[in-house]
Amino acid sequence: MKALVAILGLDSHWRGAVAVARALRAMGVEVLYLGNQFPEEIAEAALQEGADLVCLSTLSGSHGELLPEVFRGLAARGVQAPVVVGGAIPPQDVPALRAMGVADVFGPGRPLEDLAAWVRRTPGPLSG
Amino acid sequence: MTERGDGDDREGIERERRRWLTERYAATPERAPRFETVSGLPLPPLATPADLAGQDWLGVLGFPGAPPYTRGAHPTMYRSRLPTVRPLAGFGTPEDTNARFRFLLAQGATGLSLTFDYPTLRGYDSDDPEARADAGKGGVAVDCLEDVEVLFDGIPVDRISVSLVTCNPGMAIVLLAMYVATARRRGLVPDCLAGTSQNDFLMETAVTTARRALPPAGAFRLECDTIEWAVRHLPRWNPVSFVGYNLRETGATAVEELAFCFTHARAVLRELGRRGLGVDAAAPRLSFFFSAHRTFFEEIAKYRAARRLWHRMVTEEFGATESRAGILRFHVQTSGVTLTAQQPLNNAVRAAYQALAALLGGAQSLHVAAHDEAYCLPTEGSARLAVRTQQIIQHESGVAEAVDPLGGAWLLEQLTDEIERRTRELCAEVEARGGIVGATESGWLHARLVASAEAYRAGVTGGRLPVVGLNCFTEGDEGLPEVFAQPPTTARQAARIRRVKATRDAARCARALDDLERVLATNETTFPAVTAAVEAGATLAEVHERFRARYGAWTLPLA
Repeated sequence: MKALVAILGLDSHWRGAVAVARALRAMGVEVLYLGNQFPEEIAEAALQEGADLVCLSTLSGSHGELLPEVFRGLAARGVQAPVVVGGAIPPQDVPALRAMGVADVFGPGRPLEDLAAWVRRTPGPLSG
Repeated sequence: MTERGDGDDREGIERERRRWLTERYAATPERAPRFETVSGLPLPPLATPADLAGQDWLGVLGFPGAPPYTRGAHPTMYRSRLPTVRPLAGFGTPEDTNARFRFLLAQGATGLSLTFDYPTLRGYDSDDPEARADAGKGGVAVDCLEDVEVLFDGIPVDRISVSLVTCNPGMAIVLLAMYVATARRRGLVPDCLAGTSQNDFLMETAVTTARRALPPAGAFRLECDTIEWAVRHLPRWNPVSFVGYNLRETGATAVEELAFCFTHARAVLRELGRRGLGVDAAAPRLSFFFSAHRTFFEEIAKYRAARRLWHRMVTEEFGATESRAGILRFHVQTSGVTLTAQQPLNNAVRAAYQALAALLGGAQSLHVAAHDEAYCLPTEGSARLAVRTQQIIQHESGVAEAVDPLGGAWLLEQLTDEIERRTRELCAEVEARGGIVGATESGWLHARLVASAEAYRAGVTGGRLPVVGLNCFTEGDEGLPEVFAQPPTTARQAARIRRVKATRDAARCARALDDLERVLATNETTFPAVTAAVEAGATLAEVHERFRARYGAWTLPLA
């Protein structure tokens, strides 16, 4: 399994994204850590790298504006990889993100083990 | 030798302690295999005077306002002047943030602290396609001088101290130039300006991630340019605030927080010395920004150790003779990273005891984090509660009425000594790795922060670090009644940028920017050239283009 990990837009927080990258690597996932990326770049990287999973971190509040662009970019390229989002996501924003196509939201305080369990459940090389 | 405190009979006390440990203490099992601070310092079951005996009391502790300042920066401390109530504010457009400033001052804030949005901190104008989704988020959008004039409209900048939380040096130099220019346009002499610039090259090279960060050495040069100019021309301005707080939020331990700040301050003092500013002129103008994290006594000890370390460093290493040079001054912010999204009202309690630690440790200025920080910027209500928290401690608890009230507490003095010892060791390691700039360029510093962050996360996940509402006592999460919505900003700022660019003297602006580029190629301080550019109507991004043309971009060695 290959996962792409990126920080959305101009957000400056790396701690969560780095923790996710390390946790995924520890469970045998091939991780491509890209740092700060904009929607088009994320979609293009997902296509070029054949990513099985896209993990996006945002604490700036830009998710409402940038995530729809990510999905448009992925759709335009026919990329089917699930997108999960982590960071400072207010609970009231979660339904809209799910409706947009976000596979799961790992908000503040949700342990990395939840993400690991999610990855194991997802069809692919690491699932049961 | 004068013995410290009442440890006269050291051997007798030590003998009795051992006996007490085996005969009485050991009879009851402890509830955990070991006890330590969040930073991993061992916490002994009981400290006694024997832990401190044999030390020179006057040399190690002495009196507040006198060397080595362990017990406080000033003789009278809060009996003369209470700590500044300095809440953070910044979101949306300058108009939006100006309204919040007025609200905070009406609540009794005695200083202001201004945060900037992501594009501003990264050197983008709000109308840049890459900036539009982040404009006005996490702080206020500032693109040009007019923005700063609007921000401080009706705020008495000659009477209230203002902290510009500009993070990195490329941003700090532009914002301070705009602030000085704003004062001049009001007919004020810049001498009257009191406040602080956060101006720390570690912000974009180790603490946060940025797409177009300046490399460490280039950012360090701009940092020192601002400091040099302010030391010569702004007598009441602190042109740097070393970001211990941000290092700590990123993952650093208490010892790393101090060691990375002090090795950085040491590098600045050396560089200013090369520029002809001796330690007696430069050191009194350097200020520090520390965290108040979760282990109460560790934090209080950290502030006391920091004052002593600073005094010893500037006198022993740099030969300072001016007494102000050896007095460490610092602002404290309660720790955002210790707050939880779960049961968010609990955060008000955490912030209150962290604020108490800051005051017991002798902070000059304080920001209490709002309880909704895990999700959003503070609402008016949560910002008010945070201000009230500090006011209750300062005006009701009585802790502000005694100077260094915990001085002499055996446990605290022992922790203070331990933090000083470990910080010295780590400072030596940073020097061995090329000093703070070299250790950052090599990625060593960042790897250290990642490792400490991981240890903290593993501690929380594994339960070694209990977090109420998160990994224990989790029932009853009522969430937040209100989440602050950041106002749309991009269109309003883009309109102002268009107007400024259309009405400015384009030739003058271009000349000023070209002149900046010329100065960047020399060893002169760039501050006057940056000021001339912003006064000619140059935007933040236009100035930053010249910085990047000179220094290029640097990528944080991440993950």
